[in-house]
Amino acid sequence: MMQESNGVLELDDLSPEHGRSDSYRVATVPSSYDDNKTADGRAKSRRKNTKKARKADDLDDLKQELDIDYHKISPEELYQRFQTHPENGLSHAKAKENLERDGPNALTPPRTTPEWVKFCKNLFGGFALLLWIGAILCFTAYSILASTVEEPSDDNLYLGIVLAAVVIVTGIFSYYQESKSSKIMESFKNMVPQFATVLREGEKLTLRAEDLVLGDVVEVKFGDRIPADIRIIESRGFKVDNSSLTGESEPQSRSPEFTHENPLETKNLAFFSTNAVEGTAKGVVISCGDHTVMGRIAGLASGLDTGDTPIAKEIHHFIQLITGVAVFLGVTFFVIAFILGYHWLDAVIFLIGIIVANVPEGLLATVTVCLTLTAKRMASKNCLVKNLEAVETLGSTSTICSDKTGTLTQNRMTVAHMWFDNQIIEADTTEDQSGVQYDRTSPGFQALSRIATLCNRAEFKPGQDGIPILKREVNGDASEAALLKCMELALGDVMSIRRKNKKVCEIPFNSTNKYQVSCHENEDPNDPRHILVMKGAPERILERCSSIFICGKEKVLDEEMKEAFNNAYLELGGLGERVLGFCDFLMPSDKFPLGFKFNSDDANFPIEGLRFVGLMSMIDPPRAAVPDAVAKCRSAGIKVIMVTGDHPITAKAIAKSVGIISEGNETVEDIANRLNIPVSEVNPREAKAAVLHGTDLRELSSDQLDEVLRYHTEIVFARTSPQQKLIIVEGCQRMGAIVAVTGDGVNDSPALKKADIGVAMGIAGSDVSKQAADMILLDDNFASIVTGVEEGRLIFDNLKKSIAYTLTSNIPEISPFLAFILCDIPLPLGTVTILCIDLGTDMVPAISLAYEEAEADIMKRPPRNPYDDKLVNSRLISMAYGQIGMIQAAAGFFVYFVIMAENGFLPMMLFGIRKQWDSKAVNDLTDSYGQEWTYRDRKTLEYTCHTAFFVSIVVVQWADLIICKTRRNSIVHQGMRNWALNFGLIFETALAAFLSYTPGMDKGLRMFPLKFVWWLPALPFMLSIFIYDETRRFYLRRNPGGWLEQETYY
Amino acid sequence: MPTSNSNSSNVKIRQPSLSLSKQEDLLNVQTSYYFKPEDMKLTDKQKFQKLIWDPEHKQFLGRNATSWSKICLFYLVFYGMLAALVAICMWVFFQTLDPRIPKWQMDSSIIGTNPGLGFRPMPTADNAESTLIWFEGSNKTNFNKWVNNLSAFLDKYYTPGKTEKGTASIRKCSYNQPPKRGQVCDFDVRLWGECSPDKFFNYHRNAPCIFLKLNRIYGWVPEYYNDIHDLPENMPDDLKKHIASVKPEERNTIWISCEGENPADIEYLGPISYHPQVQGFPGYYYPYENSEGYLSPLVAVQFLRPVSGIVINIECKAWAKNIKHSRADRTGSVHFELLID
Repeated sequence: MMQESNGVLELDDLSPEHGRSDSYRVATVPSSYDDNKTADGRAKSRRKNTKKARKADDLDDLKQELDIDYHKISPEELYQRFQTHPENGLSHAKAKENLERDGPNALTPPRTTPEWVKFCKNLFGGFALLLWIGAILCFTAYSILASTVEEPSDDNLYLGIVLAAVVIVTGIFSYYQESKSSKIMESFKNMVPQFATVLREGEKLTLRAEDLVLGDVVEVKFGDRIPADIRIIESRGFKVDNSSLTGESEPQSRSPEFTHENPLETKNLAFFSTNAVEGTAKGVVISCGDHTVMGRIAGLASGLDTGDTPIAKEIHHFIQLITGVAVFLGVTFFVIAFILGYHWLDAVIFLIGIIVANVPEGLLATVTVCLTLTAKRMASKNCLVKNLEAVETLGSTSTICSDKTGTLTQNRMTVAHMWFDNQIIEADTTEDQSGVQYDRTSPGFQALSRIATLCNRAEFKPGQDGIPILKREVNGDASEAALLKCMELALGDVMSIRRKNKKVCEIPFNSTNKYQVSCHENEDPNDPRHILVMKGAPERILERCSSIFICGKEKVLDEEMKEAFNNAYLELGGLGERVLGFCDFLMPSDKFPLGFKFNSDDANFPIEGLRFVGLMSMIDPPRAAVPDAVAKCRSAGIKVIMVTGDHPITAKAIAKSVGIISEGNETVEDIANRLNIPVSEVNPREAKAAVLHGTDLRELSSDQLDEVLRYHTEIVFARTSPQQKLIIVEGCQRMGAIVAVTGDGVNDSPALKKADIGVAMGIAGSDVSKQAADMILLDDNFASIVTGVEEGRLIFDNLKKSIAYTLTSNIPEISPFLAFILCDIPLPLGTVTILCIDLGTDMVPAISLAYEEAEADIMKRPPRNPYDDKLVNSRLISMAYGQIGMIQAAAGFFVYFVIMAENGFLPMMLFGIRKQWDSKAVNDLTDSYGQEWTYRDRKTLEYTCHTAFFVSIVVVQWADLIICKTRRNSIVHQGMRNWALNFGLIFETALAAFLSYTPGMDKGLRMFPLKFVWWLPALPFMLSIFIYDETRRFYLRRNPGGWLEQETYY
Repeated sequence: MPTSNSNSSNVKIRQPSLSLSKQEDLLNVQTSYYFKPEDMKLTDKQKFQKLIWDPEHKQFLGRNATSWSKICLFYLVFYGMLAALVAICMWVFFQTLDPRIPKWQMDSSIIGTNPGLGFRPMPTADNAESTLIWFEGSNKTNFNKWVNNLSAFLDKYYTPGKTEKGTASIRKCSYNQPPKRGQVCDFDVRLWGECSPDKFFNYHRNAPCIFLKLNRIYGWVPEYYNDIHDLPENMPDDLKKHIASVKPEERNTIWISCEGENPADIEYLGPISYHPQVQGFPGYYYPYENSEGYLSPLVAVQFLRPVSGIVINIECKAWAKNIKHSRADRTGSVHFELLID
């Protein structure tokens, strides 16, 4: 038995096949004690590999399980190794030498990318490179023009400056957004310095924990954080809480004895940054800083390479697509321009135009803003996102690997069931006491509660009056604390009851007896009899009883009653609960009068033939919101896997109660039990659920693990080490799942880091886990993950809409250039106006789509397929470029031809006119009505056409925005309740009018005022976009899965 | 969700939002996402080849023949309908246009009311950015290029009504006899005197004639400088003198003046003679109303003794009260260079 708390039946007693003796197993058995390390824990042989190989080696090394022998050697050998002394400690000189050799006892902070590198990434990543090329081409064209022509036009210079400014501004913007969200972490940094009591040269010193060195003799007491990995050499009732390291929720006792080969299991080691909860101890520091168990895990976590987030991959894919199109078109038309005999400088200017038209300059900023908006919305729902891109990841998640303790459960033992009067009563385990209530007046409960109250050493810490009982902190053992809270809730003031029943004698729990007994004076002044109360392992308690208290009557404990007891015991144990038995005895006043001297060392009072009262069982109960959240995740097609360091039975019980294993689903073992056949005969495919023990997991090859992950929908991994958690996450990812990991402990942090999105707990979580995670649940509520999934899916859908909207206007932007080159018509749309669309009128509407409500219940569809369901897929391009964009281009050209014709140039006249049109020398170009145009007037006409083309794009983008609101539903169904979007409609129109009509725009942006009627020619096209898409979506809804959906549903 | 908790918290396992079997289905969807083992074995090159042509499914670029034909048909119909839409819009739009009268005129049109000047001969189309008239008077083939260019332009003046095939009603006009509606004035080519094709426009004598014309703007009527006491200050003195010397009834003319742009240019340019004798465009040619056979009045400017071997910048201006000059915009004026080798 690893750990004994007062008379507790160990769960493993019920599950002999998962004996605890080797339970906290690790992937490699320390077969040889030569760990390639010197006594001070450093590698004996220095590796002389290259730095990279070294890093990979280190990481592999960290992935191996801990392999040390400090717990096995005798204390004397230990002192000798470290040249220390148990009473005097190290000498100052030796301590100084060690400190200089090993550095401070602190974790190396994870490597961070320098700020300027981050900035440069923003400045040159994405479309920026393409735009830089455009800008450089502009400057080149200008400087060549400037050196050859007397009065060069400044167009290219301005355009170059504008392009460079666009890149720089968007770069600064995204850098700012990024750094803002990464600053969140700094608020979590624990700045409180830790102190440790150290013996050096026989003196007790209080040093900062960083100054500890190997071989230091330290003293720790309850409430302290263990300052380094220590080998215990003296202890008094010392217990540590290893939950952040191993996931076990119960405190574990620590003493000088060597009890287990495995360093994590042995009792004589206590680990850095775990908490001492009871007692005091003295120990020798055996490893410091990064070499500690905690340090290794943290190192493993920070050393892991995490891939890009799914949304980053999607955006990358999309940028590649657009860049590909831009480069292809650019180069093609560059060549065509040469073939058509254009001057090379003209060809360069075409190239610039095509690049500018192809690149949606504002889109990346739009995406950043959309993600920021969602991040803010999530933060208000207690999901703090460290990395903006992680906002969407939960939406793509197909598998959640959740830690149990502290994430799914409340991380505090609570009384769950009681057995008295021969029936099992369910206690309320919910956090807010909203659950079932039970009868508190029955004599059975009265007797049971008296024992639970009196035979209990736990006390509330002072000064917690305002706090709900269940949340108060308690001094004492976890199960006693559970009883205390239960009794405080049931009876009121426990301490006054204890005062009334004065304790006269007590035998505390020990591992041989497995019970705890105390004698009290009776609170009834008329009853002089002492009460003896006892609790402990149920079968041990039962052995000591001769009668049983049922329904207010004392009955003889016959076989029938023993049978009833056994059934209850097994049932509660099967629920994964820790069961305690309770009995009492009223001592006859003649033998034990008031003032009788009870002797606790040599019990001079009866401890046999007692009266059995009942059982109480405890569990770390699930959080109230978890079952609902799990069900929602499953409805959303997300597989929830439990990965815990805790025991299989507890894990399974919690998994069942939160719905990770749903009702009616059986594991292989369950089927074997039901059919009464050996486990090996059951076809594993028949079992939907699986509970895997860490030891079993060790035996599995990666193919077998894949099979488990593939064929079981409901999986619980119990007794897993941090490394195994990592293996499980990697297994899921290998199969193509997008994995979210939730956890709070240090042991979770490698898995958190490796996962596509790591979710740490904000309150209970350890710093290391928060450091490794991408998202932090501020309220520790698993249900917030559901919010995250919902928001993530919504933003993915809305980003699609936003991109579809933005990309559509690319076609009316590119096509004028193509027509300009191929048909020799005066340019219908200039680069400046293109920038006005991309960075002006399109921005607000595109962002406003982020506020769009979901079309259908996005939580009732499976997660997206990361291989098929791309952010920007061929259907989206087909819709945006092939269909809507073409209608928009038609609208633009129609307006262009209308204005040209109304001013004198009929369409047929325009083809082939470009050379004379653009020649400054031609001061008298004849139009279709015989009028002759000066260069300046022609250009005014051309720029008016640019303005009108721009306005017509704005007009058709109204319809585009409205059709982009929905991908399947009708706008009638969706409504126009998105006020951000409605504002966007008005904004883009107002901006277009402003750009066109403000005096001075003709000089600055070459935008000219339009006649009102020139706004109108685009209207039929706007209407046809709207009608076309409504019709398309109507057929989409009518024929789900039909051809139209396959080709146009993006 | 906190609200749903409080409502249903006394139920141990809450009613899931979907039935378990449905949940099961959704969870199973995942399995279909997972990598297919056979795909994992393919190399990148094989994957690419499979993308181009997949013999197993007979797919080219990820589509088989049916799929390709369906999508092509779809786009054919789609673009067909789009073309029809554009055609309808164009047709409706053309119904609003008059073939002879521009929809927007003068100030409501972008052409405005400030005409520019044009000059002939112009450099050929392959040299459209240039305004340099560069010839060798001693080399016949060289200057013939310019002469032919000019002759081609002046052809319709020598044979009026040729292009309109006689539908035009052409008559002779004078200051006292302006044309009636629907009539156009002819132009007496004899007024150009020296500057005739027979004399090679005097290019062979290094005294080239350059023809100037005012840009036609539909409906534009000039406001003449016909009062010799009310002439603008920046008008060249030569022109002022000339106006004073012209008969008062002939002063309803848009005056023309040419000068070297800089003092040096003026010096190199030497004396200038204008043909016809009234130095400008007679007012009876205006307004231009796109009538058949309309001929813009021309002024031939002859540079009598320009210095050879030097590029001379010349600016010619048209003078009327409603013509504003801007050298940068080339309104009301024209710029060209002359280089005689």
